Amino acid sequence: MKYFPSLGLCAFMAFAGCTGKESTTTSNVSADGAAAPAFTLAWSEYPSWSVFGVADEQGLIDGDEGAMGEIETKWNVDIVLKQADYDTCLLFYGSSQTDAVCITNMDTLPPSLTRDSVAILPTSTSVGADACIVVGMDSIDDLKGKTTFGLEMSVSQYCFERNLELQGKTIEDFPFKNMDPGAAAQAMQSGQAATESIMVWNPFVMQTLRTRDGAKVLFDSSTIPEEIIDMVVIGKDSLGKPGGEAFAAAVVDCFYEICKRMEDPELGDKTLVQLGEKFSSLNLEDMQEVVKQTQFYSTPEAGMELFNKEKFQNETMPQVVDFCVSHGIVDNKPKLGFGDDSAQVNFVTTYIEKVKAE
Amino acid sequence: MIRQPIQFSTKIGISTVAILASLATYEMLARHQSNINPKQTTVPSLLQFGEGFHEITEANDKGETWLGQDLVATFGRLAVGLGLGVVLSVVIGVAMGAYPWVEALFAPPVLFLAKIPPTAMLAVYFVLFGTEGEMFVAMVGLSVFFTLAQSVYSAAKKDVTDHVVYKAYSLGASSPEVIFEVLWKQILPRVIEAIRLQIGPAMVFLIAAEYVVGDVGFGYRIRIQGRRMNFDVVYIYLVILGASGLGLDWLLNCTRRKLCPWFGE
Repeated sequence: MKYFPSLGLCAFMAFAGCTGKESTTTSNVSADGAAAPAFTLAWSEYPSWSVFGVADEQGLIDGDEGAMGEIETKWNVDIVLKQADYDTCLLFYGSSQTDAVCITNMDTLPPSLTRDSVAILPTSTSVGADACIVVGMDSIDDLKGKTTFGLEMSVSQYCFERNLELQGKTIEDFPFKNMDPGAAAQAMQSGQAATESIMVWNPFVMQTLRTRDGAKVLFDSSTIPEEIIDMVVIGKDSLGKPGGEAFAAAVVDCFYEICKRMEDPELGDKTLVQLGEKFSSLNLEDMQEVVKQTQFYSTPEAGMELFNKEKFQNETMPQVVDFCVSHGIVDNKPKLGFGDDSAQVNFVTTYIEKVKAE
Repeated sequence: MIRQPIQFSTKIGISTVAILASLATYEMLARHQSNINPKQTTVPSLLQFGEGFHEITEANDKGETWLGQDLVATFGRLAVGLGLGVVLSVVIGVAMGAYPWVEALFAPPVLFLAKIPPTAMLAVYFVLFGTEGEMFVAMVGLSVFFTLAQSVYSAAKKDVTDHVVYKAYSLGASSPEVIFEVLWKQILPRVIEAIRLQIGPAMVFLIAAEYVVGDVGFGYRIRIQGRRMNFDVVYIYLVILGASGLGLDWLLNCTRRKLCPWFGE
């Protein structure tokens, strides 16, 4: 029943137009008495994004406005956390109601057409966390002509078509029909005859495999590592405000600090369980599986390596843009850049380097 | 003095001002949002709606348009679902009002289930009816059934006095005649009114369902286009929903006046 929050979007749209509120940059007084500007980060439940919720729980940051955690004091910036359903986060970001957002590389493209965006931190990549789950089929040829249910115009459809492409199949032979991933997983789990194939992401992948006998993964995102990237993106407008750069650095710092704690023999399991609670109430074993399928870029080196990678810059991202254009997700190609200030989507390692140099 | 009549022309004038004021307020919001971000599309200016309109009425290779497909899907589902729900609830509601044993049988579940908001039962409906096309119809039908059956039942029981029923019997009417000629005719305006009031909730429920599992329809389009930040399309759809709601209201009011002129306003 994880998809009910998505109805929140309906509610959001009802009043989004009425508030017209700008993401606030009010001043707060930090522990040492200096004024700390406040910036908002919108996040939804996902392994590498729940990190921010856990950071709040562990006191590294305080997600409330006007309250400062350790890292916030260090960078003298007030991080305000806004937790919402994923779709709602996108809307918050696109309508400038939040300064930064946890978002995938693909979903960054539509809002970037109207709001110049800076990707400051890759948090994880999907290596099996997005999967096509089938019942009563053994090969991709059995799937021919049968409808797969998943969220249209999303990473699910991208992963689906990329896999077909890699296998040399004709995409038109494999119908893909829109359905919320939560609802698709529920339909398969309750054994509905019409739902023989679904393309969903975690936690629905794990849930469905566990709950439905005979359900198995036909293919997943492990064939396309480093193509679906979970990231943190900041509006260029917000980054330019006083304290914007400190905010970016604080977010990056906070992420790596929690990653460090996950590696820590003492704090590791506890942190992982806390992440699991934020993410669909999974237990320790489940979470150990989840982080294998959602590989974290847990060190500054790993993050920088991805953004600097030739393949990511010249193959993956252009390919994602082409997919978005051909599927009507964006009308025009946004200008991509890697450390290029004039780009509409600019991937930078500046803040990772800044934190690393600390 | 309250209810002091005003001139018709004054009334029209005031209403026009109200509509213009709403539009102006919207336009101001759009300007405000554009001050924050000049390229924004989340609160498009009224002038930008042309583009959205073009997008929803542009025919694809098969000659289909978004608007056409969505209108057929959503209002088709609403009409068939509502139709089924109305027929079922009228039959059961009238029977409950006419026969105490039917009342005893149906009253407990109907009265209880009428109190659960259908949207909260969305997940249950998916399990019961699957996620294929007929599901929307079944869901709309069932979602209005309980509340409507309760209204019909209450009208059939309370609005038709024993006095009238006995009078009909003593004039030689048979039981079916009492039901069709006396009871049904007397509760018809209440039934029409109850249906009118159920269209709103049915629409809320249908849009929510399409939002989650639809691959065509208003709820689907609003979600997908919202994700693309295509709010010129989203707002046009909202306007259409508002206008069609008013239209249906008016239609049912006319029907009631036509069929039951004795009932008054």
